[in-house]
Amino acid sequence: MNIRPNTSIFLMFTGFVLLQIILSGLIDFGPLLFISIYPLFLLTLPLYLPSRRLMVWAFATGLTIDYFSNSIMGINSAASIIMVVSQTRVFKLLYRKGDMENQVRPGMREMGLSRFSAYIAINLAIHHIALVSLENFGFGHFASTLPRIVVSLMANTILILIAEYGVFYRRRR
Amino acid sequence: MWNKSPIIRGLATLLLFFALEGVSLLFIAKDSLFQKARINSIMMGIKGDISGFSSDVRYFIGLWKVNDMLHQENIALKNKLDHLKSELGQRDTLFSVTADSTRPGFSYIPARIISNSTNKLQNFIILDKGSRHGVQKEMGVVSALGVVGVVKEVTENYSYVISFLNTTQSISARISPSGAFGPLEWDGKSTNHAILSQIPQHIRFNMGDTVSTSGYSSIFPGGIPLGTAQSSTLKGGTHHMITVKLFQDFSSLHLVNIAVNLNIQEINNLKESNNNNEY
Repeated sequence: MNIRPNTSIFLMFTGFVLLQIILSGLIDFGPLLFISIYPLFLLTLPLYLPSRRLMVWAFATGLTIDYFSNSIMGINSAASIIMVVSQTRVFKLLYRKGDMENQVRPGMREMGLSRFSAYIAINLAIHHIALVSLENFGFGHFASTLPRIVVSLMANTILILIAEYGVFYRRRR
Repeated sequence: MWNKSPIIRGLATLLLFFALEGVSLLFIAKDSLFQKARINSIMMGIKGDISGFSSDVRYFIGLWKVNDMLHQENIALKNKLDHLKSELGQRDTLFSVTADSTRPGFSYIPARIISNSTNKLQNFIILDKGSRHGVQKEMGVVSALGVVGVVKEVTENYSYVISFLNTTQSISARISPSGAFGPLEWDGKSTNHAILSQIPQHIRFNMGDTVSTSGYSSIFPGGIPLGTAQSSTLKGGTHHMITVKLFQDFSSLHLVNIAVNLNIQEINNLKESNNNNEY
């Protein structure tokens, strides 16, 4: 592994953290919607990274975002670690042989729109359920928090797809 | 070797997962009161289970000691019982003492304070015993360290008590060696002090003399120690006003006894017949 991929990951990390902080500070639609765009960074990390490295990145990203935004410290890091653990399994579900030859980034261009959307939606769902459960600390109020999960999940999936299309999909063409 | 074995790699991943999640949870617990309370309650539950188990073990190991102690206590109680039996036989004709009373004429209902205030001029207390347990209006409430108040209202399960720390409350008290008595009232200044007034000027007493209930009321039994004389001033040249340092700390009060006057009916009848015959 050379230096360059690490540098680019770090640059992406900084960019996504900044974007997340700015967006969550700007957009406030009340308790039904929370914005999280940073999962895109974790979900499109190179495939060759071992899961331990993924977890450390997830922890660092979540904690940095928690620190700079108004959320409870540690809640995003806990949720994103859970997401990252299931990430490779979700990818294997959607993986088609020969699909990812010589590709390192599981992006929209590499996977195609439908499978990439599914990949994002499933992982985001895991992330959101974990986040909301941690907020309530239990599954007891699940019925009342379900709208929060569903609305945020839809909004964030669309947001992430737009970001992926606008920033990575077109540029790499 | 480390990187080759898939089991070790898996374990390391799992360990890292739990470590990072643990750190995140620690952060959450530190940052948010709600989550802190939930995590604490879970931790307390685990702690309680563990300490409960260890105390069970200690209890089991220490049983022989407990048995020994109980045996000795049993013998001591038996001796006391015999002694009291013989003494009671001699005095049976002098007093009519009910089995559960500590002073003749009164029996006690133990109660727990569920609400108490000390920071107002009119303080009230709520007890967890009500009419179902035999509590009635105008019953006195006492503790081991003095008078607590008088029952004002009674519901089925609760009773509402006017605290002694209430400027409308007054109890009849006497100062010990001379036996001179007067009303003891709270002046609303300090929860530790009350004023004993109307003690005639010729009465001699010393600072530190004990002030106790006089027994000249049907609400409180006599002789309950209330406090000690701390300072006094002469009022109008005829009466002492004695500042009494109370024994009772009202802020830490928890368990009290409701004094039931067993002869109240008789006393009331007597008062009533007296009122009827007035001319």
